[in-house]
Amino acid sequence: MRFGIFYELSVPRPFAPGVERAVYENALEQVRLADELGFDTVWAVEHHFLEEYSHCSAPELFLTACAMQTKQIRVGHGAVVCVPAMNHPVRIAERAAVLDILSGGRLELGTARSSTWSELAGFEIDPDTTKQTWDETIRALPRMWTEERFSWQGTSFSVPERAILPKPVQRPHPPLWVTVTSPGTELDAAERGIGCLGVAAASFKEQERRTAEYRRRIADCTPIGAVNSQVATLNFLYCHEDPHEAARTGLGMLGTFGQENAQLLFTREAYPTRAYGSLANLAPAPARREGSPGDATGVPEGMAIGDPERIVRAIKEWESIGVDGVNFLLNALEVIPQQQVLASLRLFAREVMPRFRKKGGA
Amino acid sequence: MLAGTRALDTLARRAGRVASFDAPALTLPGVELLQVTYELGGGAPESFFPPALHPTLPVLAVLALWRADAGPLGRFALAQLRLSCRSGVRPRQLLAASFADGEPARAALNERFAFGARPARIRLDRFYDRVEGGVEVDGASALEVTGLGPLPLAPGDLQFFSSMHAAETPKGLRLLQIDTEVRVTRAERAEPRLTQFAADAFGIPGVKLAYPVAAFVALCDVTLPRLRFACRPDVPAHAGTERLS
Repeated sequence: MRFGIFYELSVPRPFAPGVERAVYENALEQVRLADELGFDTVWAVEHHFLEEYSHCSAPELFLTACAMQTKQIRVGHGAVVCVPAMNHPVRIAERAAVLDILSGGRLELGTARSSTWSELAGFEIDPDTTKQTWDETIRALPRMWTEERFSWQGTSFSVPERAILPKPVQRPHPPLWVTVTSPGTELDAAERGIGCLGVAAASFKEQERRTAEYRRRIADCTPIGAVNSQVATLNFLYCHEDPHEAARTGLGMLGTFGQENAQLLFTREAYPTRAYGSLANLAPAPARREGSPGDATGVPEGMAIGDPERIVRAIKEWESIGVDGVNFLLNALEVIPQQQVLASLRLFAREVMPRFRKKGGA
Repeated sequence: MLAGTRALDTLARRAGRVASFDAPALTLPGVELLQVTYELGGGAPESFFPPALHPTLPVLAVLALWRADAGPLGRFALAQLRLSCRSGVRPRQLLAASFADGEPARAALNERFAFGARPARIRLDRFYDRVEGGVEVDGASALEVTGLGPLPLAPGDLQFFSSMHAAETPKGLRLLQIDTEVRVTRAERAEPRLTQFAADAFGIPGVKLAYPVAAFVALCDVTLPRLRFACRPDVPAHAGTERLS
């Protein structure tokens, strides 16, 4: 089981001078600690215009800073929006290669197509076309990284023969992922031989179904490059010795995330299209009060919120349904004070992480 | 999360009025619908909503024109402006203004579901290359809107959300949740075109419909079900929502 930390870089109002900087500095301190504690990956999203929810519009810069301040932890550029109006495919390949070089071969590259109206309209992107442009871009990326000279005649972009430089350190190329919010995207991942990066909180049952289908399909995939067959899911982490304190603080984080997420305007809500089949809501559903698979504290099932034993049980459940990795959001709008976030990370690393590590190594 | 800051007296000024919460459900068969959506510009998003509601970012202005040629209310047309928002974390649209053409229908919609509709001449004309709609209030044009080049969609590709109607009620000023059910039998997407919009007439003076989002045309059966929830407009939904039935 691999453990990652995951950043939206949400910023609380009012947006006074210094607030955004404080959020970035807190995140960097958490990343340095996570590196020391043995976490595997730090992921950072790409979002634009999403007030409060995510001020992470240049994740490659944030991740470069992460790479420069750490030794072991991998840097997850995830996900890059693979729509030329937002990121030309050549620029994605170039930036990723530079980040792979600067991090010493520690890059993971997540891909996506954006799910909010705010972002698509902000770049004048036709929602009907994003699935096609994502698909074309991800097929081109491995070739740009591995071919001495690359050319492409496509429908969303074309490039005459050019050397795409530099080349990444990892051979043949950094692992590729796609973010999964809508049901069915896991099949897209499997058929292309790329990793399944869950970014919406799914139930055990739903994740089990998706994972099983992914495993079945990827066995017969036509890979676009080197196969990455990992499945990772998104979670929230707040670990504390006192389960009631853990629930109180952790649920505060969940509620805050739910509120900031609610203010987003998803494409499906604004624009009638069959290209976006769901609202792509990322917030976890609340625990049901009766017959709930959650617990009496009200923490939804599977959430890594609680004392170490509760979190171990939740992660073992994820492990049992075939998930290879869990990525954690550590905070939302800074509602948890920084020292508590760091303490939660330390406690998790001391009491939980060893239960999922093989003897003699990671 | 941004919460609404609109003064309640300005909400009350456009509010409808219901004498009870017991209105029976109303089904309108074969309604022709033109819905045009723009992003709102020219005001702080939270300023359009009372404290009970939260704006989406950005706020969508949803202009919906209905034409019903048959059904229990007879022949009538209705024009609405709704603004996208959240009640708690749930998607909703606040009714900012409405107009109706056809007096018996206007009275019924106002008395039963607090549309607060004002009288107007409403036009909804369907052509093969476009659907045109217009609203004329007191002899002056308040809205001219077109859906250009309608192309078929699946009925399930259209999304509808519950509306919040401000109303004077036996319990005082409330936001009534109208859970309109729409059964779509024909759906088309079109390019939105707006040539006239009188913001004053629609209750949002000084505001611009800044950026076109989408338009769609539909043939549908519309049901306005019995009222289920009323919300106090001055406090968040989790604190001020009352179940009615």
